[in-house]
Amino acid sequence: MSTVLVILEAKSGSPSRISLEALAAGAALATATGAQLAAAMVGPAAAMDSLGSLSAAIAIEHPLLDRYTADGYTAACAQLIARLQPDYVLFPHTYQVRDFAPRLATRLGRVLLSDVTAFSLDGNTVTFTRQLFQGKLNGHYHAAAPAPCLVSIQAGAFHAAPSAPTSIPVESFAPALEPSAIRTQPGEPFRAATQTVDLSSAPLIVSVGRGIKDEANIALVQELAQALGAELAASRPICDAGWLPMERQVGSSGQTVAPKLYLAVGISGAIQHLVGMKGSQCVVAINKDENAPIFEIADYGIVGDLFEVVPALTTAIRKAKG
Amino acid sequence: MAVVASSILSASPAALLAALAPSLTLAEPATFALWQRLLLLALILGSGWLFWQRFGRVVRRILAARKDADFQLFPLGRRIWDFFWEVLCQAKVIRERPLPGLAHAFVFWSFLAFALVTTNHIATGFGLGFLDPAGLFGRFYFLLAGVFALLCAVSIAGLFVRRFFVRPIWLAHKDNTISAESGIIAGLIFLLMATYLAAYWVPSGSTAALVLWWLHTLTLLSFLPLVPHTKHLHLILSPLTVFLSRGSFSRIPPLADDDDFGLVTGRDITQLTALQVYSCVECGRCTEHCPAANTGKELNPREIILGLRGYLNEYGPASEQPLLGRYNSQQAAFQCTTCGSCEFQCPVGIEHLPVIVGLRRGAVNTGEWDDDHGGKLFLALERNGNALGMAHSEREKFLAREELPAFDGSQEYCLWLGCMGGYDPKGREIIRSFVQVMRFLGTSYGVLRREKCTGDPARRLGNDLVFQQLAESNLENLAQNKVKKIISICPHCVRTIAEDWKAYGTPPEIEHHSEFLARHQARMPAAAPAASAGTTVFHDPCYLGRYRNVYDEPRSIAAASGTLVEAERSRERSFCCGAGGGLAFLGEEQGARVSETRVGQLIETGASTIAAACPFCNTMFRDALASRGDAAPQLLDIAQIAAASLPPAPASNPAGSLPNPA
Amino acid sequence: MKIIVAIKQVPERDARIRIDSSGRWIALDDIEFRMNESDAYALEEALLLKEAHGGEVIVLSAGPERVGQTIREALAKGADRGIHIASDSLASLDALGVARLMAAAIADEHADLILTGLQSDDLGLGQTGVILAELLGIPHSSLILKIEKTDSGLRLLRELEDGWFQHISLPTPALLTIQSGNTKLRYATLMGIKKAKTKELRTVDAASLGIDAQPGLLLDAVALPSRQKTTQMLPGTPAEAAAALVAKLQQEVRVL
Ligand SMILES: Cc1cc2nc3c(=O)[nH]c(=O)nc-3n(C[C@H](O)[C@H](O)[C@H](O)COP(=O)(O)OP(=O)(O)OC[C@H]3O[C@@H](n4cnc5c(N)ncnc54)[C@H](O)[C@@H]3O)c2cc1C
Ligand code: SF4
Ligand code: SF4
Repeated sequence: MSTVLVILEAKSGSPSRISLEALAAGAALATATGAQLAAAMVGPAAAMDSLGSLSAAIAIEHPLLDRYTADGYTAACAQLIARLQPDYVLFPHTYQVRDFAPRLATRLGRVLLSDVTAFSLDGNTVTFTRQLFQGKLNGHYHAAAPAPCLVSIQAGAFHAAPSAPTSIPVESFAPALEPSAIRTQPGEPFRAATQTVDLSSAPLIVSVGRGIKDEANIALVQELAQALGAELAASRPICDAGWLPMERQVGSSGQTVAPKLYLAVGISGAIQHLVGMKGSQCVVAINKDENAPIFEIADYGIVGDLFEVVPALTTAIRKAKG
Repeated sequence: MAVVASSILSASPAALLAALAPSLTLAEPATFALWQRLLLLALILGSGWLFWQRFGRVVRRILAARKDADFQLFPLGRRIWDFFWEVLCQAKVIRERPLPGLAHAFVFWSFLAFALVTTNHIATGFGLGFLDPAGLFGRFYFLLAGVFALLCAVSIAGLFVRRFFVRPIWLAHKDNTISAESGIIAGLIFLLMATYLAAYWVPSGSTAALVLWWLHTLTLLSFLPLVPHTKHLHLILSPLTVFLSRGSFSRIPPLADDDDFGLVTGRDITQLTALQVYSCVECGRCTEHCPAANTGKELNPREIILGLRGYLNEYGPASEQPLLGRYNSQQAAFQCTTCGSCEFQCPVGIEHLPVIVGLRRGAVNTGEWDDDHGGKLFLALERNGNALGMAHSEREKFLAREELPAFDGSQEYCLWLGCMGGYDPKGREIIRSFVQVMRFLGTSYGVLRREKCTGDPARRLGNDLVFQQLAESNLENLAQNKVKKIISICPHCVRTIAEDWKAYGTPPEIEHHSEFLARHQARMPAAAPAASAGTTVFHDPCYLGRYRNVYDEPRSIAAASGTLVEAERSRERSFCCGAGGGLAFLGEEQGARVSETRVGQLIETGASTIAAACPFCNTMFRDALASRGDAAPQLLDIAQIAAASLPPAPASNPAGSLPNPA
Repeated sequence: MKIIVAIKQVPERDARIRIDSSGRWIALDDIEFRMNESDAYALEEALLLKEAHGGEVIVLSAGPERVGQTIREALAKGADRGIHIASDSLASLDALGVARLMAAAIADEHADLILTGLQSDDLGLGQTGVILAELLGIPHSSLILKIEKTDSGLRLLRELEDGWFQHISLPTPALLTIQSGNTKLRYATLMGIKKAKTKELRTVDAASLGIDAQPGLLLDAVALPSRQKTTQMLPGTPAEAAAALVAKLQQEVRVL
């Protein structure tokens, strides 16, 4: 029987959410192709106790894998694949996978199908869909090379199954690794110092404009930013007035930002402001004027008084975060 | 003078009276002894030698500078007119500063009148005098010169008082001092006139006449060598400068060859520039009108010119020293809005913009200019083809939403959106209004799908590479689409397409919407009386006024929104909004914001509406007005004013449908 | 340091996307091409390293004739010479095939450092650099923000997910893929363009590199996604709108 192997990624000791999504994709693919589902992860066996129904659960364990290196992971996974001979190897499409999976595929003489959002079965051929041109086009691919076929799954493309105890005992797999084969020396991960404002790399930004009316009301959006874990930014009038420091100004004469989420509160959307935040992946606007230009480029808009909407939103976010 | 006074004091009352009533004949010395002639000759040679010592150096520096590749002497008509009007009539000098201007004109005209007198004066010393003071012509001419001498003496005294006692700030140097040399020169001019006039009070052939003659001569001969040492060099050079000027306003000369990157070192200074630089009279008119200098920025257009002069004096035109350094700063060069006030004001025909843009070209074309916002702007132009760095698809969405038809060659006009019209929410409102008017008039128009920025900000910031790429790509696109006529809401687009693109091809005809609207005004419904109840102040955009000479057309449209009032600075003297020269994209300003200063001037008129005719002015003012609270006047483009008088579009035929036959 | 920067020419970022008659790629007739964004950052890093430590920057690009223009742009920005792998049929190769061409074309260069962008704006595979490293048998690291030269090799700043970073050391020769946005890009200048005219641009015919072109992955068809981006208004009372937004932030935007 053929095998779909999903290689999971651990985050603080247990499989990350996106790994579980990849596992769900693997399960769907296994069902569709009549294969069995196996999962593997670098880390202790104990971390793999709630992965549901599997044909094999493998904890890859080796001291040289304690800290991620592309050389270590490539060698370990290559050995595991050689042992299991899977038809498909699925990964979550994370930064780490992007770093080593192409190397692994090359070592196996294959090409990774990266960032896949869906697949479909067409006779015997599995067609995989991935996005081109930053999501403006979908491409449908199939593998022409013999197994294994390596695929990484985009975050959010599949829904993780509810957790259930792993159906079989977790095996341990110890790859043969030589210290000399690991050429990179990774340092301890760290977060950027929080004192310095660096809006340009902030993933989440709450930005406030003249609609806030008064310096005292800034606290309102500050709370929202805190609840969201976002950086606080502003339009120029706010910084002109000195209510927030200059380095928090977004726009043509301030910072250019490109966060995942840009939440604009009481900002009209003047061109000089738009220029600084147009690269945001998702724009949410809260404004009492339904004709405010900011809504034109927003993905989500709430027309309403910010003094009502913002506190409600802060509360809702706090609730959602538990 | 002293001789006259002492002779008056020592005389009897009757003689005094006689002395006070001048004869109508100018006194001349009887004869000159040989030694006097020899002395005169020696003094003339000495003075001439001293003069040439300095002036020759200036001339050699000017001649050693690089030739102006694009200089063309012909057609002469314009040059002769400029010479007549600006030099002989002193029109610019008088128009922009009437009182001191007139004073200056009198000094100038007396110098002209004295040309003959002085030649005769010296000739007399050698016994070759050709004007007989007693003859009919001589009597008339000397009297005429006398009248001028009187006017000149009064004027120069007035100018002296103004410079040294009233002390207008723009006459001061960078360090706020006023140099004594103009005082000395004024004194000499005064003395020249006085020694001339005094000769009416002394008997011909008297010793007094001889003394006066020598005094006049000595004054003259000390004046001469001083001229090239001081700003009074303009006396000699500026008529030439005016005559030889490039002619068109704010002309950016083409790069001469593959090694020309703009003004990088002394080698890049051309003869015309050098001539102009040495002609500056340091009058400060340019600085007085400069929006940058008036809002606390480092830039001071006079110091830009004097900086080049300083450079030429120290290093000469063959130097490899960078021009941006000791004498001119990069920061100053990049604070210019290219509003053109300086060039427009300059009475001696100095063209600041080729210099300022030239310095920028030198810094940008070589990659020396390193500015976060500037770099971003250039990359946005390179990569996105618009100055705002917006995605092209945003423009497409706007076109679709407004149902703006694509230009297909069948329509009369290609409607040029420009970056502001295509991407700025407020600029789009102007387009929307203008389209309503065109639809009402039944004018056919279409929009280019792949329109790119005209390159205006790149051009004015000195990025010839990006400008050329944009100009060429647009020209090709227009030619492919067989565009014959363009209409635009943006004076910057109009100027750049009409003038600057010429370097790379033949642009189609283009006009600004104010010209179009004024032409079709008769076919538009009259504004409702309620709409024109208040007062309106029209702000002349630099690129429409000074750059294109369009002043009345937009006013005629703006008048529909209220009784027109004028700001103190309007028409040719309009004060910039702060956006031009690429500055709208360059981040925070040093000192006060130009836009806020200008908005203050417009609000002072008490107008209830500010009418604009440029999307850049519009965005600058909108921002500046927002901080003025609810009492601020409303801001409208003339297209919006024009559209307001239209009947509401019938519901079945919403805006965006086919042209509405008028 | 001898640095090779691999650069891809891609359709401009916001090109209007239409599918061509084969249904397998977009119509290219109305498209303008640009240097891939993260490759521009890779080039910038290379130029900064050269300015700091001396050496040579070589740009490498594969594609049809028009690619020469992008190489010239890189030369104008300061690269010393260019290698153009000329091929009109790159689309028939997969990432491995392209990387093999590149490996063959630079085999004799023995560069100390090879830089590529993180991923291309068109295909977005994000693999070519890493594959090239494996083919050349040299270490690599991806998502690099900063490069420092040390005595033993390089010290790098690497971006991790969710605002985390990491330092990495590795010996040279090595390959790095560069993340966009960490440095300021230089703009092309007239002087640079003029200088570039005299720089060497070597064209290598892809066919002469002897790479077997059997792709392991095939792009069968492309399609426009059904849902285009529009603004979604969230109505209701403030509490309702807030709840609706939180749901979107959790499920669609995935930031909660
Ligand atoms: C050269 C230049 C450079 C500039 N650079 C920048 C820059 O870098 N960054 C920048 O931001 N601006 C910049 N500006 C200024 C810019 O033009 C705008 O003036 C500015 O962005 C407006 O800020 P705003 O949206 O906060 O204020 P406004 O435009 O006044 O908008 C306030 C908004 O709040 C809404 N509102 C009011 N009350 C409420 C309420 N109770 N609840 C909900 N909504 C409410 C209103 O409907 C309105 O839409 C620049 C301008 C110029 C000319
Ligand atoms: S063009 Fe305008 S801003 Fe520039 S120097 Fe002259 S007056 Fe000043
Ligand atoms: S440049 Fe012209 S306007 Fe300016 S100070 Fe000199 S002469 Fe006067």
